[in-house]
Amino acid sequence: MSNSTSSSSELFGYVAEFSSASDLYHAAEKVRDAGFRRWDVHTPYPVHGMDHAMGLGKSWLSAIVLVGGITGSCVALFLQFFTQVSLYPTVVQDKPVNIFTLPAFFPVTFELTILLAAFATLFGLLGLIMLPRWNHPLFNSALFSRFSNDGFLLVIESRDPKFKHEGTRQLLEEIGAGKIEEVNY
Amino acid sequence: MAGLKDGDDYKDGEFFKSPTLLKLVCFAVGFGGMLLFFLLRFAMPEKAGAMGYSWLFAVIFFLSLAVGGLFWTLLHHASNSGWGTVIRRLMENLASLIPFIFILAVPLFFSFFGFRDALWEWFPKREAVLVAANEAAAAEKDGYIAERTAVITGAQAAVEQARKDLAGVASPSPGHRAHLEKNILALESKAYKLAKEDLSPEGAHATLVDKHFLDGAALLFAKRGYLNETFWWIRQIFYLVVLTAIAYILRGWSIRLDKDGDPRWFRWMRRASCGFLPFFATAWTFLVFDWLMALDYTWFSTMWGVYLFAGAALNSMGVLILLVTALRRAGYLRDVVTLEHYHLMGKLMLAFVIFWAYIAFSQFFLIWYANITEETKFYLTRNTAFWNTYTIAFLVIGHFFVPFTVLLVQKVKKLPLVISCVAIWNLVMHALDIYWIIIPERGPSLTAHLGEANIAMTIPGAWVFDVLAFVSVAGIFGFFLLKQLSSASLFPCRDPRLDESLNVVN
Repeated sequence: MSNSTSSSSELFGYVAEFSSASDLYHAAEKVRDAGFRRWDVHTPYPVHGMDHAMGLGKSWLSAIVLVGGITGSCVALFLQFFTQVSLYPTVVQDKPVNIFTLPAFFPVTFELTILLAAFATLFGLLGLIMLPRWNHPLFNSALFSRFSNDGFLLVIESRDPKFKHEGTRQLLEEIGAGKIEEVNY
Repeated sequence: MAGLKDGDDYKDGEFFKSPTLLKLVCFAVGFGGMLLFFLLRFAMPEKAGAMGYSWLFAVIFFLSLAVGGLFWTLLHHASNSGWGTVIRRLMENLASLIPFIFILAVPLFFSFFGFRDALWEWFPKREAVLVAANEAAAAEKDGYIAERTAVITGAQAAVEQARKDLAGVASPSPGHRAHLEKNILALESKAYKLAKEDLSPEGAHATLVDKHFLDGAALLFAKRGYLNETFWWIRQIFYLVVLTAIAYILRGWSIRLDKDGDPRWFRWMRRASCGFLPFFATAWTFLVFDWLMALDYTWFSTMWGVYLFAGAALNSMGVLILLVTALRRAGYLRDVVTLEHYHLMGKLMLAFVIFWAYIAFSQFFLIWYANITEETKFYLTRNTAFWNTYTIAFLVIGHFFVPFTVLLVQKVKKLPLVISCVAIWNLVMHALDIYWIIIPERGPSLTAHLGEANIAMTIPGAWVFDVLAFVSVAGIFGFFLLKQLSSASLFPCRDPRLDESLNVVN
């Protein structure tokens, strides 16, 4: 069943193919219950509920976005208030120059909140998924290229503490994997 | 995946049996309260004006909830959504309350009850100005006709004289001749224009009425095409007919779909909704112009319609959440509505909390920044005395910052009891928002008391009527809601999108 394609020796992990999204879903539940941490699934389309089957927790991204948004608000408010009220009071149309000037600063505050929250989303996401990078060992796999066509794939990485060369292969076979491929670095 | 629900298992629907006691209490509180309110109205005629504001406050609050239900129904169809099919019937039931609540507003429309003239100043003012203008016109008419006739005769005489002048010159040079001919033409044109005026007794009367109307109330004269009684009545009928028709047509098709499962109804609902949306938007926008913005006919805001719409959509979503929670506690919809639906409804509520704040702030901001006298009036009143604290505490913090911060947390949206508490909070804030729109207009006019040290911003003791009106309309709203809930399945049980909604994940 194995057809190793890479020439280097160090093992990255196993790629296992399943025949349908449903099979993959149940397989994911079993891998989750076996206690693996460093693993992932790849499907041609989003599978609803897969995050639950994989036991994924809530992403940290929303916390990063919150920090970005709050930073944006504070920076905008400080910048405007400090320059227009404290440093050089600017009177426009007989408007007050004190705490009641705040409404005038809201549009910029709103915009900067959105901007920094959006930046935090983009760069936070890139950071969390560790992009950009030059290459990925999975590209060495012949099986992997099918994930964007008709492959329902499950990948377990060798750096997972529970990973055992033979044991993991056996587990994959038990949970109904079709083809199993060893992928090297 | 595992355990996907099959819509066919649910095709019998679930039927709500409304608790008799609750229905009875709603009936007693609602109609009893209304009876008491109108008895008090006739017992205290001097308070009639103040009570009109109370009644308008209560009616528009509950009408906004029903109209919001109609909006969600329309949106659900127009966007071809699948997630909310299981709660769509609740939206339809909410929308079907529109005529019942609208009818409650009818006493406001007749001067007999003493509400109309107190609420919408333009009615009595226009009437008074028109009466005075008619009297003045009748008195001045004969003199005016004589005066205008003399002017016209004079102009014609001038033409004749100019012609004579030309004939009298023996041999004019070409330039002199051209000059005289040009003069004749100008005089002829002037006489022609003057002669066009309708100087029949009726025509002269109308001209004079317009003149005195303009002098008496320039703003009302400028707005006479919109602010007149005939058009006003046409509009009220338009609102009632359009909103009711849309709500009942969609609900009717939806219930037929329950019975025969014919997907034709589903397609009709989807297509018709796109056509209904502009009518819905027009009706609600102009309804709030006529009922709320016209409380001060000199003031205007182009954001008014969307401001009231934002509040309506936000809070009817809150009502839907409360309804679902209450029904689930009573043992209905347990298998049908999941936490995913709560999450989705919570997200929509968060979106509309932000939308409301965006619109409310924009309206304030544009007026505050431009600082134009006729626009700032609205906020000037609401920034005077305790209304200032009220605005900041309830509208800025209570209506936006609190629900915004709370709803940001994902967990909150997935806990039925917590999200229900947020919905109740929002409804209270919505009531305070509507109160803030209407009640400051009840106080004495700021400009009329300019310079006085202590202007009373409210009428002492009038809040009792506000509470009574609110409780009465709430009871009536609850009574009809229970009635509508039990008249059909609690969810569209044979909708083609039921499977999708039952298994929704987000």
